[in-house]
Amino acid sequence: MSLSTSNFNEKKSAAGDEALNQNISINPTDDKRVFIKITLAIVLGMMAAMGLVRILLDANDANKQGILGRVLQAQAAVPQIITEPNDLVMFYGSSMTRAGFSPRKFDRDLKAMGKDITSFNFGFGGLNPYYQDLLSRRIAEQFVEKDRKLKLALIEFNPFQTTQKRWSRAQFTVDSYITMLANDEELWQILTEDLSRGIHLFNIKYIRNHVSAEMVTSYYSRELFPPQRGQRFKDDEATVTARRTLGRELGKLFEQEYPDYDGSDWYYPWQGAGTIPEERSAHTLSVFDEYYAASQTDAQMKNDRLSRIRSADIEELHFEPLLVESFINVVKNFQRFSEQIEVVMLPKNSRYIHYTPEAKIRLAQAIKQIEQATAIKIKNHQDIKEVTADMYRDTTHLSRYRGDIAYTDFLLKKYAHQL
Amino acid sequence: MIFNTPIFFWFFCIFILFYGFAFLKQTPKVYLLLVSSLVFYGAWNYSFIPLLVGSGIADYFIAQAIAKSPSKQGKKRWLTLSLVINLGILAIFKYADFAIESVADLLSVLGYQASFTTLSWVLPVGISFYTFQSLSYTIDVYRGDMKPRKGLVEFVAALSFFPQLVAGPILRAKHILPQMHKISLPKWLEAKHGFLLITVGLIKKTGADILAIPADKAFAAQESLSTLEMWTGVLAFAGQIYGDFSGYTDMAIGLALLLGFNIPLNFRVPYFAKSPVDFWRRWHISLSSWLKDYLYISLGGNRNNNRTRNVFLTMLLGGLWHGAAWTFVAWGAFHGAIITLTHYLANLAIFQRFNRSNTLWVSGLKWAITFYLILIGWVFFRATDIQSAFTIIGNLHTIGSASELGINAWTIFTLTTVWILLVHVMDYFVIKSADKLEQKNWQFWLVIIIGQALCLLIGEPSNEFIYFQF
Repeated sequence: MSLSTSNFNEKKSAAGDEALNQNISINPTDDKRVFIKITLAIVLGMMAAMGLVRILLDANDANKQGILGRVLQAQAAVPQIITEPNDLVMFYGSSMTRAGFSPRKFDRDLKAMGKDITSFNFGFGGLNPYYQDLLSRRIAEQFVEKDRKLKLALIEFNPFQTTQKRWSRAQFTVDSYITMLANDEELWQILTEDLSRGIHLFNIKYIRNHVSAEMVTSYYSRELFPPQRGQRFKDDEATVTARRTLGRELGKLFEQEYPDYDGSDWYYPWQGAGTIPEERSAHTLSVFDEYYAASQTDAQMKNDRLSRIRSADIEELHFEPLLVESFINVVKNFQRFSEQIEVVMLPKNSRYIHYTPEAKIRLAQAIKQIEQATAIKIKNHQDIKEVTADMYRDTTHLSRYRGDIAYTDFLLKKYAHQL
Repeated sequence: MIFNTPIFFWFFCIFILFYGFAFLKQTPKVYLLLVSSLVFYGAWNYSFIPLLVGSGIADYFIAQAIAKSPSKQGKKRWLTLSLVINLGILAIFKYADFAIESVADLLSVLGYQASFTTLSWVLPVGISFYTFQSLSYTIDVYRGDMKPRKGLVEFVAALSFFPQLVAGPILRAKHILPQMHKISLPKWLEAKHGFLLITVGLIKKTGADILAIPADKAFAAQESLSTLEMWTGVLAFAGQIYGDFSGYTDMAIGLALLLGFNIPLNFRVPYFAKSPVDFWRRWHISLSSWLKDYLYISLGGNRNNNRTRNVFLTMLLGGLWHGAAWTFVAWGAFHGAIITLTHYLANLAIFQRFNRSNTLWVSGLKWAITFYLILIGWVFFRATDIQSAFTIIGNLHTIGSASELGINAWTIFTLTTVWILLVHVMDYFVIKSADKLEQKNWQFWLVIIIGQALCLLIGEPSNEFIYFQF
């Protein structure tokens, strides 16, 4: 039985065995040119293959702007923020911060109180504390370098972003996000601790344009292997149609009322966190009312709750120790360039989200750990009476022109005197 | 270091520069190969390098002693020492905890509550491969099949030869040592074949990583899946393990070709097999031939009417070679049983016409039965325990399961089936017609570049090779 790899090899193997049996040397040749060809084939072949990969990625808009656009746009705005003449306030957190804090209203109301403040919404969806830690280092570096300080840093502790489930679902993105948010010194540190991983990360950053193979797989496999949706609640057809129609109408109204908007995710004037109701027409606000009536239905809320239980363990809250540690680092990074820091937990829709008794114990432990490590008391705003159950667009995010306004008012009441 | 990682790419680039342009003479080349292989192995865990080198040194000198020993008795004693050292290493690192836990379980069944401390040692990567490779040398010298070789460094370099060190193929000393003694420069056509095999291996490995998604889901969920999804999972695992393992060995053979070494084929379109015996002629050929030559024949082979016992024992131990768990023993026993049954049926008069027939439908039926049995075998191999394996096998045969079909269930089933078929067609092409493609420069490099690009485009976070754990 021949054990070779091809016809070609079978010939060589047979010849080789014969040579061995007769104690004759195998194919003696001193032609070194073969290694020049092999080396060139490896290098040029890999370059060509990698070039093809880059073309495929670019053709699908897979690049760091497409993946972390809002984060990178905010990061790029930091030098401009540092040069702002007014005292600075930054609210740093998750998508709940993005939806729940209106810098425009905050600044306007403070100005009415005689305080010149410029505030910024640094709330980013999909950034768990591990990534927030990296981003906050980049922000801190720039502030420290220019010797500028925030008058007040509001930092959101989001328990839903800190769970094991959230972390396990982020695995496909970890390497890409690290290369987008970490600097070369940090990547080098990883390389000295784990050579294989370090080279992998440098490869993603400089050769793959920040897009890891895992991220591409995740993108395509989501289509083929969608997560189990489990139980679904349904609205009647009229409500579903109204939701779609009104959503489209709101989009058109936005384009009409804000013709100068450049389309960026983090737009300097309001940072994607919402304009203020006073800027919108009465008609637009009435369409918003209709839209909320069609979208904040009981079925939608129940579906959202189940989806967040599956994706973020929002009622059991099994915390990921690495993410809790990372959050502590976030606070410490802000301590480098902030005069005052408030760590807050944003309102949640308690009509639908109910912690189990064990979750409450775990949450209390996590809060205690963070408070001990940072010497800052966490303010729990999850169930404040100023924000009612009707002010959410889902179970965790506040709605525009309702929840965000109510919560920004609450923050003004709480923290204006500190500014 | 894993072949399909950037670190290995850079390692190999640097290595080839030294190998091809700096270390031109035979002796420096051997030293370079040895040091590079140890760096390759040490990148995983350098503390096990002494074990690898130590077992090689021991077998080198034992082989010399066997050859010098004037009496049969003396030769036997030296061989026994080699067996004790190699199998002892395997027993301690791989099977000690399994044995301890099994004894504790047995005592518990008998009503005695015993508490034993397990060793919990890390399993050195590739230990099952290099101990078998090393053993083949002392056994061959003992049998007089080869003379002991001079050159300790050459021997250890051959044993630790990095392309095949951690997951085979298991090389025979008589095959690799003469090549290491006189390293030849690769010819360009050989190198091109190497590039083709590396690309094919990468494609297989990439596909295997994707197939792991439905396979993992099926073996984790068990009862909550529909019958179709369960079959898809088992089929996906069959594709995963084939792509993963044969992909690795293809890359190993390809890399070796670039260095001027010829490593034997380890797979030959195994899922096209038309009987369990045929399957083992096509699957992990280096292991099955090792077991045949050094275990089955040592047990007596076909002699003395002990064929059934010897086949069964060989397959049982072959199963155990894969891992220290009852699932692997069950897998080996299952294959032992179906091979034995095949032999038995082959001797029955009523089956002789069927056996001899090569008509399309008879061949198709033979293939279908064999593939079905192989899939059932994989359930034992992949399941977490024997009970789970039987639950899964039960679910596979439940008609009209209560669970609702998942999204895209039929699409995933079809894609899995098509992928396994495609991989086999690709393998068949490589075995039969690769040289025709290798003659055509432009088309050849286009295939290589597109293949490599597809593999670079996608990947999984955890992409270790399954056979590294064995």
